[in-house]
Amino acid sequence: MMSFEDRVVPIMQVNGYLLVPIQIDLDDRTVGLLQQQLLKEIERTRAKAVILDVRMVEVIDSYISYTLSETAAMARLMGCRTVLCGIQPPVALTLAQMGVVLQEVTVARNLEHALVLAGSFQERDRGV
Amino acid sequence: MDAIKVTEIVNGLTTDGRQKDLWRRVMEGALSKEAAGGLFETLRSLIEDLGEEEVGAKILHIAGEHASFPAVDILRAALKVSGEMRRENEHVLMQLRQMLSELATPIIRIWTDILLVAMIGNLDGQRAQNIAERLLNRVSSVRAKVVLVDVTGVPMIDTVVGGFLMEMFNAIKFLGAEVILTGIKPEVAHTLVKLGVDFQMVTIARDLEDALRRGIAITMEERKRRRQLALSLAGGRLEESGEDDEL
Amino acid sequence: MYEERITTIIEGPAQDFDIVVRITREEDIAVARQMAKQLAQEIGFSLADVTRIATAVSELARNIYRYARQGRIMIRKRLEDRDSPGIEVIAADRGPGIPDIELVLTRGYTTWERSLGIGLSGVKRLMDSFAIHSEVGKGTVVITEKRRRTF
Repeated sequence: MMSFEDRVVPIMQVNGYLLVPIQIDLDDRTVGLLQQQLLKEIERTRAKAVILDVRMVEVIDSYISYTLSETAAMARLMGCRTVLCGIQPPVALTLAQMGVVLQEVTVARNLEHALVLAGSFQERDRGV
Repeated sequence: MDAIKVTEIVNGLTTDGRQKDLWRRVMEGALSKEAAGGLFETLRSLIEDLGEEEVGAKILHIAGEHASFPAVDILRAALKVSGEMRRENEHVLMQLRQMLSELATPIIRIWTDILLVAMIGNLDGQRAQNIAERLLNRVSSVRAKVVLVDVTGVPMIDTVVGGFLMEMFNAIKFLGAEVILTGIKPEVAHTLVKLGVDFQMVTIARDLEDALRRGIAITMEERKRRRQLALSLAGGRLEESGEDDEL
Repeated sequence: MYEERITTIIEGPAQDFDIVVRITREEDIAVARQMAKQLAQEIGFSLADVTRIATAVSELARNIYRYARQGRIMIRKRLEDRDSPGIEVIAADRGPGIPDIELVLTRGYTTWERSLGIGLSGVKRLMDSFAIHSEVGKGTVVITEKRRRTF
């Protein structure tokens, strides 16, 4: 079990998905803890997809985006897909200008779109 | 210094009645603390009438002819006023440029959840960044699903502009929207391939009509999926009764 | 001569700058980023540019922490220029230095496992001007600047 201090974000369970609103400044330590917390929670709940909502995140630099991709790759190995939603316009411009590619991550416009995308993964996995 | 002396200086500066009055007020402002408040305002009127250079020349004239008069104070105030005026002008100019750049690149909501941006004219770094910022804010605020980018009006796309466009397309995709590009002329297609700029991250359409058709197809597809999602959340009962082909 | 220049920048008077952040702990990266953001906002940069500047500072601070363990981020307003105001960001450290600058500016290159290898090249892309001085065994100084757009 994780200690209370190691839990950096609230994680909600919706329809077999994990919903993670990130409402804190992502410094290096936090982003590392986020990774650990997510993987443990995926294992515990056997979630089909995890949806990260980054609406409140004002800066995503190369390290944060790398760690997010890395976490998504780990989650995929556990049978869980990752959807990122709510990237703010200035952050999107900055990521694009730096040439960041978010590997293993699917991008959605908002929570609703994220749920639609997560649903379509499931379909694909069932071979529909 | 008395009023007679001031009148004498003013008469030496100009014969125009209104200007005489303004100069008198400027001098009184420089001489007494109580009248100092009006100094800047009066100088502004003078500069508007005569221009910076002439006002400067007259102040120097006062300094030369009447050494005892505190002309330095007037000069200092005049510099401050003309600096302010220049900044105001720059601000107006900036707003006009901004307006022009917005007019030059209209962003139109052409269909439900679909935006059209028509790029016209040459794109330089500043303009391209401006368009990108404006477009991204729009995409985010109206929650557009698809952005149609028409470059028919862009005469030339070099590596720099091609790079800006690719960045803009990638940024739109980070918002979760799709990009459909259209209007690439033969010459442009030729240079793009020669330069090695590929637009692999976007869908390319033959013309605007084709672009719109594809855009609508994307939004319909998503609407269908959303409906299915709603049904499955409702417990999947309706899904089996075959009522989901309403769209 | 070179040694002297790095010393001047690293130990020089801090009052020449609006912000000086010593990078010694991981948390200092977020501090530097936050302070840069505030100053950029004060100068009147667009929100997109504020984010670019904060991200660039984040990358520079992380490079210091990761490769040199400690150093400084120094930031100041540039208002003397007539056309438009700007911001200058300097990152300085007495770390191991960079043997091949061309190589680190190549996108995708990294000596550190947990990275995309776009740190410095990313900074170069985000800012308007970028200069780097580095000497093996002595340290590294990155000087970078961004101007406010005129419209």
